Formats: sequence, C-alpha cells, structure tokens
Amino acid sequence: MTRFTARGISAFYGRKHVLDRVDLPNLTDNQVLGLLGPNASGKSTLMRCLSGEKATEGKITIDGTSRSEMGHDGWHHRLASMPQTPPNPSALLPTELMWSTARALGFDISDQELGCQIEDIFKRLGLAEVALSPLHTLSGGKRQLVGLALALMRDPDVLLLDEPTSALDLHWRMVVLDLVRERLAERGGVVIAALHDLDLAARYCDRIVLLHRGKIIASGTPSEVLTPANLARVYRVETRVTSDEDGRPIVHVIRPLRDFEPA
Amino acid sequence: MSAIGNTLYQQFGAIRRWRLLMVSAMAVGVLVMLCLDLWAGPAGLAFSDIVTGLIDPQQLELRHRIILWDVRLPDALIALAVGAALGLAGVETQTILDNPLASPFTLGVSSAAVLGASLAIVVVPVVPFFAEAAVLPMMALLFALGSGVLILMIVRWSNGARETVVLFGIALVFLCNALTAGLQYIASAEAVQQIVFWTIGNLTRAGWPEVAMVGACFVCVLPFSLRHVWVMTLLRGGEAHARSMGINVARLRLWVILRVSLLAAFAVCFVGAIGFIGLVGPHIARLMLGEDHRMLVPGSALCGALILSCASFLSKALIPGVIIPVGILTAVVGVPVFLGLLSGRRRMA
Repeated sequence: MTRFTARGISAFYGRKHVLDRVDLPNLTDNQVLGLLGPNASGKSTLMRCLSGEKATEGKITIDGTSRSEMGHDGWHHRLASMPQTPPNPSALLPTELMWSTARALGFDISDQELGCQIEDIFKRLGLAEVALSPLHTLSGGKRQLVGLALALMRDPDVLLLDEPTSALDLHWRMVVLDLVRERLAERGGVVIAALHDLDLAARYCDRIVLLHRGKIIASGTPSEVLTPANLARVYRVETRVTSDEDGRPIVHVIRPLRDFEPA
Repeated sequence: MSAIGNTLYQQFGAIRRWRLLMVSAMAVGVLVMLCLDLWAGPAGLAFSDIVTGLIDPQQLELRHRIILWDVRLPDALIALAVGAALGLAGVETQTILDNPLASPFTLGVSSAAVLGASLAIVVVPVVPFFAEAAVLPMMALLFALGSGVLILMIVRWSNGARETVVLFGIALVFLCNALTAGLQYIASAEAVQQIVFWTIGNLTRAGWPEVAMVGACFVCVLPFSLRHVWVMTLLRGGEAHARSMGINVARLRLWVILRVSLLAAFAVCFVGAIGFIGLVGPHIARLMLGEDHRMLVPGSALCGALILSCASFLSKALIPGVIIPVGILTAVVGVPVFLGLLSGRRRMA
C-alpha cells in the first residue's frame, strides 16, 4: 500500500516564483494523477520538485515519511522519475544504459537475472529489436521508450512521468499508458504523469490537476476538471466536451480564443 | 542484431567478450610498440639484444646496457605513461562535459603548463634546494595545477554547469597563450626557440624519476576512474536521466575534473604540450569499443599509450640519426588512424 502526498509546494528560479503553494490530491494505491497545463505552467518544475531534484518549500511524503526523513537513497529507491528529454543520441546501446544504471544504483541481482529483467522490459515496450543498436540510430520515440524502460526497471512505488508520450505515435502512446496501468494493477503504487494530450489524460487518469502559471486552477476527476470554462481559461481555446460510453469526457477543440475575448 | 533463439544476456555477453578481446589486443599492441620503440635509434642494437637486455641486463655489454636502461627505456616508458594519462584524462573530460571536442587541453591545463615553462625559461628563477633542470618542469606543474584549481573553483561556483566550465577553460587557454606570447615578445631569440621547442613536446628529456612520477599519478588516479565506470556510462544517456536517478552530477563533475587536472598536469609538465592524444585517443577507443566505460576507460588509456609510443618510434625511425620532436608526429600518426576508423564506421552504418 502506497500513499503519496504533496502539500504547499513552492519553487523559485532565482527570484521568479514558478510554483505557488501547490497542493496535490492525496494519492493511494493504483491511482494515476495527470498534471495538465499549457507550456510554462510549472508542470516540469513540479515534477522535479516531487522527485527531490529541485529544492522546494512544502512537504512531500511517501507513506507519511518525507525525503529528509527517508534519506536520499531510500527516497530514490521508492520513487523513480522519467525526465521529459529522451536519452542522448550517443553510441551507447540501450542495454548498456540499462545495465550501467542498474549497477550504478547498486541493484543486488546477478548478471543473468539483470539480463532477463532488461529483456523483459524491452519486450513489453517493443524495444527488443533495438536492444543492441546504438541510441543515435533510434528514433526519438524509441529513445523516449528507453527512458521509460529506465524508470520501470527501478520498479518504484511512485512513478513520475514527465510527458512520457510526447515523441510517440498514437499506437505507442496507448501501449505505454496501458502498460503503466497494467503495472499498477499487478504491483500497486501510484503514478503522476505530466501530459499534453487531454484525451489521453481523460482516458487514463483517475485524478487530474490543471496548472496555470504555477497555481492549481482545478483539481478532481477528469469530468470535473475538463470543462469548457477551465480549458478556455488555461489553454485559451474554445472547446466542446462530450462523454464516451464509459462516461469519460472527450474534448473537441473548436478554435483558439483571441486575446481580447473573455476567457 | 535481432534476437533469434538467443537471450539478450547471451548476445550482450558476446559483445562484451569481443570488446574485451579488442582491449587485450590493444594491450598486446602496446607491448609490441614498446619493444619497437626501444629498438629504434642510432646505436644499432639488434631486436634480439633488446629482448635479451630486458630479460637479463647482465648479458648485454655495458655500453648497450646503458643505452637501453638509462636512455631508451625511460623515453619509451614516459611515452606510455604520458599517452595513457592523456587518453584517460581525455575520455573522462569528454564524458563529464558531454562534449566530443573537450580534452584536458580545453580546460587550459596545458596552456598553463606552457606559460609556467616559458616563465622558467625567460626568467630563469633560482629556487633553493632545486637543481636548475628541475625548475622548469616544477614551474610547468605548478601552473598546470593552478589552472586545475581555478577550473575546480568554477565548477563549484557554477554548480557544475558544463557550458560555463568549457567556456571558462577556453578563456583560460586564451589568457595563458596571451601571457606566453607576452613573455616571448620580451625574451631573447634563444629563449623563444627554447619555448617553441618545449611547446612542441619532446620525450627525450625524461629520466626514471619523471617516469615514476607520471606513472604513479596514473596508477593512483586509475582506481578512482574505474570506480566511476558505471555512473559515467549512464551519464552518456544524458544528464537529465542521471539527475532523475538521484545522482549528484555536480559533485561527480568536481571529482572527475580534479582527476583530469592532476593527470594532465603531470603528463605535460615533463614532456611539453603534446596535444591531440587526449582528444583523439578516446575517440579511437570509442569507435572500437563503444561507450561502455568499463572497456572505454582502459581502452582509451591504452589507445593514448599506443599512439604516443608509435609516434615516439617513428620520431626515431623516420629519418635515421635525427629525432623529430614527438609532438609533431602524434597528429601525423593519429589523424590517419582516426579518419580510417571513422570512414570504416560510415561504410558499416
């Protein structure tokens, strides 16, 4: 059973306030939280604060224990984040990247077991064919999947995904998020994903937080958050929201709003 | 390289075994090159004399023994030690700054050494308890280490921002070059010639103490480099991923640049600014061995040693009776090898 809380998160770049006392809903096992918001709304910064990479005011806990109480290694043992940028297009092989990560982080398993584990993750993500091809020969989408494989290999209780599907085509977007869902059903844990795609968010997230200029504008279930009024205010687009047979919202974007139109 | 009937573990194992074989071949190549380097020279020793003289020095006549053990062996060994040190320093700099153009020389270490050496040549300072001949390398070492300290301060101050480090290094190169030019401007013609000669790089000034110092520096630093091979390998996947795993990249950068500065300072202070090896040695190793630093780190050191040893051999063998400064030849030897490997890789891709 995993509980994740984040309260009163504030962050600065120099003197610029980029996150202003953000409270995330409390997350318990099997929940996926989607962070939505336009560019520069603070999604990536919030992700970096949650992972412990960026210093922050506020309190973030896993099962009631904060990062400072748990210690650096303990925290990163339970939480893994996947950054927005895919791994560099170097001559490194995806397998080498996974292997060296496991060894640098001190995984206590034999070489053979590690090989099997990497192969299993690569197969699930459709990377088996390119497991031994240099990263610079891989498409951006494949490299993004390698980035996801790196996070999944660490088998965390809290998985943070910063725009995990931005370089993927329609098929792989759904495969990836299905996989994340399956994984939760198998082993529990929570997932927080910053997403650009509203329909994907509506389809895969239990809760959604809508960020705008470092503040939370709306928070709740997809149908509570994805309303024409909220979307007009945050994204400055006119939308029509219908729902599918399961009651999940579907967002139809009609046109961008001009600056002088009331949001 | 698709998986047909073989597990990923087995295929990856095969790649690693092949690379281990390549590293072993490089090590053998270094030994062969060392023997060739010892053999080349005007005294007319036969190759068999060299091998016998190495195994049992008493069998050689005194004259040849002195030539082999006191002249050629220190020269040949310093080529290996300096080459290995620059190869190791180069690969670590390129990885930690994520910049294929980086080398210890980009950080200004060698320019500072040249400045220190030039100052010693022009001013001829008298240092108590130090032989006159030891003053020049000591000044070069002090200046090189000083530039290393400056770079480390910048790394700390900028919290490890790699662009800042590279830019500062290049600025330092220009500053040292300008000051060296200033010294040359006021120096006598003879001193200018000496500075130029030192700057080109020459192995024949080394004796056993120098070999011991550069060798000891390399041997002391290598275990620390090997301890970091995993994290350096994963750093090739990008800084963002390393950070997201909780790895303190800024602190790692500080340690690596400390190692690199030490290696480069000791490597250049006795033999002069032998450039290029720290840049191309790692690239040749990378083309042959890939990015896994378990192989790349030793491979890069071996490549550096091999190139400099080969250049040292050619410097004596090309024109009989004349020793061409080795610094001129490193690029002449290294560039064709590098281009050959690069075009081979293109054809394969």
